[in-house]
Amino acid sequence: MERRAALKGLATAIGGLVVLPSWASNWNHTTLQPTDLLSAEETPLLASVVDTIIPKTDTPGAKELGVDRFIQLMIKDCYDSKAQETLKKGLATVEEDSKETFGKSFTACNAAQRIHILEGMGLSDDATSKGFFTMVKGLTIQGYMSSEYVMTNITKYEMIPARWNGCVPVNQ
Amino acid sequence: MSYFNIDSQKARTYDAIVIGSGISGGWAAKELCEKGLKTLVLERGRDVKHNVDYPTTMKMPWEFEHRERMPLEVVKENPIQSKCYNYKESAAHFFIKDKDQPYVQEKPFDWIRGYQVGGKSLLWARQTQRWSQFDFEGPARDGFAVEWPISYNDIAPWYSHVEKFAGITGNKDGLDSLPDGEFLPPYDLNCVEKYFKESVAKKHKDRHIIISRAAHISQPQQIHLDQGRAQCMSRQMCERGCPFGGYFSSNSSTIPWAAKTGNMTLRPQSVVHSIIYDEKKGKATGVRVIDANTKEMMEFYAKIIFVNAAALNTNLVLLNSTSSRFPNGLGNDSGVLGKYVAFHNYRARISAEYDGHLDTTTVGGRPNGGGYIPRFRNVYKQETDFLRGYAAGFGAHRISYNSREGLGEDLKANLFKREMGGWGVGSHMMGETIPKKSNYVALDKNLKDPFGIPQLKISIDYDDNDDKMVKDYLEQMTEMFTEAGFKNIRTSDSKQAPGLDIHEMGGVRMGKDPKTSVLNKWNQMHAVSNVFVTDGASMTSTSTQNPSLTYMAFTARAVDYAVKQMKAKSL
Repeated sequence: MERRAALKGLATAIGGLVVLPSWASNWNHTTLQPTDLLSAEETPLLASVVDTIIPKTDTPGAKELGVDRFIQLMIKDCYDSKAQETLKKGLATVEEDSKETFGKSFTACNAAQRIHILEGMGLSDDATSKGFFTMVKGLTIQGYMSSEYVMTNITKYEMIPARWNGCVPVNQ
Repeated sequence: MSYFNIDSQKARTYDAIVIGSGISGGWAAKELCEKGLKTLVLERGRDVKHNVDYPTTMKMPWEFEHRERMPLEVVKENPIQSKCYNYKESAAHFFIKDKDQPYVQEKPFDWIRGYQVGGKSLLWARQTQRWSQFDFEGPARDGFAVEWPISYNDIAPWYSHVEKFAGITGNKDGLDSLPDGEFLPPYDLNCVEKYFKESVAKKHKDRHIIISRAAHISQPQQIHLDQGRAQCMSRQMCERGCPFGGYFSSNSSTIPWAAKTGNMTLRPQSVVHSIIYDEKKGKATGVRVIDANTKEMMEFYAKIIFVNAAALNTNLVLLNSTSSRFPNGLGNDSGVLGKYVAFHNYRARISAEYDGHLDTTTVGGRPNGGGYIPRFRNVYKQETDFLRGYAAGFGAHRISYNSREGLGEDLKANLFKREMGGWGVGSHMMGETIPKKSNYVALDKNLKDPFGIPQLKISIDYDDNDDKMVKDYLEQMTEMFTEAGFKNIRTSDSKQAPGLDIHEMGGVRMGKDPKTSVLNKWNQMHAVSNVFVTDGASMTSTSTQNPSLTYMAFTARAVDYAVKQMKAKSL
């Protein structure tokens, strides 16, 4: 009886959801619009950078999941002008280093070459290069791991755990 | 002006007016309506209907475009509200905009506000502990503020009354310092929290780690189902509003309950300017309201008025309610209105790591917080170089992480591999502060808010007693952490401004003597018998408990008294 009553109460509560407003603008990789932060040349370059950091394998890479657009949005809206400058300067350095080292544009390099360029920036003494690397790698990981694809298929996000056990063996 | 005609006046006359629809105002509405009084509930913000107006409640993490982080521009425009931990994409719409109600910080004070039906009851941390007799006796024993006019026994049945309806999870721990209540089944401490409890008990017989008591329906009773509320689903995203009604808020519980009686008129967008006092009758006759949309000033009338605007706004409304009888604010014969404001000291934190119990972990989610350490300092007698004491939160969690090493396929492989670490443990303090005359709020003589209402001037600060308490908390916790074998202990004193605890109290205190207090033991104004104040403003002292449960109990008790007095024609 109590269970039935509880289920009834639950149904009432869930029934309420039907009338939720739909104005809230959800985003995923198909709806996320590019921002005006980067130029037409810089935009594909950033996409290539994030795809170098997390490439496509048997699962999608960061570019496929729209992480480059997420990064632009975050840096445009939530970061200060210094970070925005770091992003643009860093992208310029990526391209310069690539041409200097491999004689071609970053986007034309193979995966190993692109990793080489980014690793170099991470180890650089130049504050902007290092800052760019740390910021973009961090945001790539954040955007990728919090994407719908990864949270649904890989890390199995649970919105409604409906349980708590404070002490269970690790392997269970 | 048409609204002066008699019909219009009649249409704006009720049995009772409640100012505010937050955690205490919601209770006033419920109790008054249930007792048959036609009740007008005034709320300065917009309406927020249960479920209908929780736009983020079912959003997935990836649906927040900045992943919960607020845009820099919004943070810059709202430097005060944005300090609150709940000010994020999923819940920022339940906070005011700082520009909506400017105030004067004579000393730094972070005034956190939520203006909508339900107020901050949508956002609260849901911790609900009863006060004990040791708490009520504090001011008299230690010689500060004034003596409380009530004892634990006066309020105990009202705690039971509100606990049963709200739904409080907890364990009957049998402690003098934290009386047991009407509990729904408790959530469990985890293995490391239990270990710490045992470790502390070995050396300190008077220190207890218990599971925190909170307003979550761990197992619904009929009274909760009757409210349309269901079992808490452990989502831990309460601040969005809960589709299950799993935690208590005015929106999910008291306001719809009051509405169901047919006796409630809820009027959102109604900014209370002041309370109308009739010199001939010697009573309050109504409330002046500014319609937030039209900016029109209008009046509503009632036999009794409950002021539940939240502690500092209740002070503001009363200070702004002047008449030739009360030139310094309604009911302010004593001159203490706005003074003796206090709060909770949340400055200190401690964290550490523990590498025991590595064969165990936790599953699911725990909605009620973790462990709670009731006050153990100066409970039975004065024993330290500071007055009163602190409660503390305590929690442990098994650390799991993904290595972020490498780039490319190496990094990706690392990110997909969950590694198990040791345990993280942490605690924060919740210290009692001593109400003082010098900690006060007043009306600024020149500055007005966008409604033309004087701005509140806030002058509240820590003192030496608070600093000593921070030091003692960190010393005692460090000792207990060390005894438990916790490693890498880190302590901090945020020195955060008062206000960010969101536990501001007092200014309209209760007391036995009309010369030194504004309210009597029924939360009734000594000088204006039909005005009741039952929110945080009424608090004589603060003790260490999260205060909302006590406001709810005071409110229900005061309504019961007021209605009995009305029926006996003495009001």
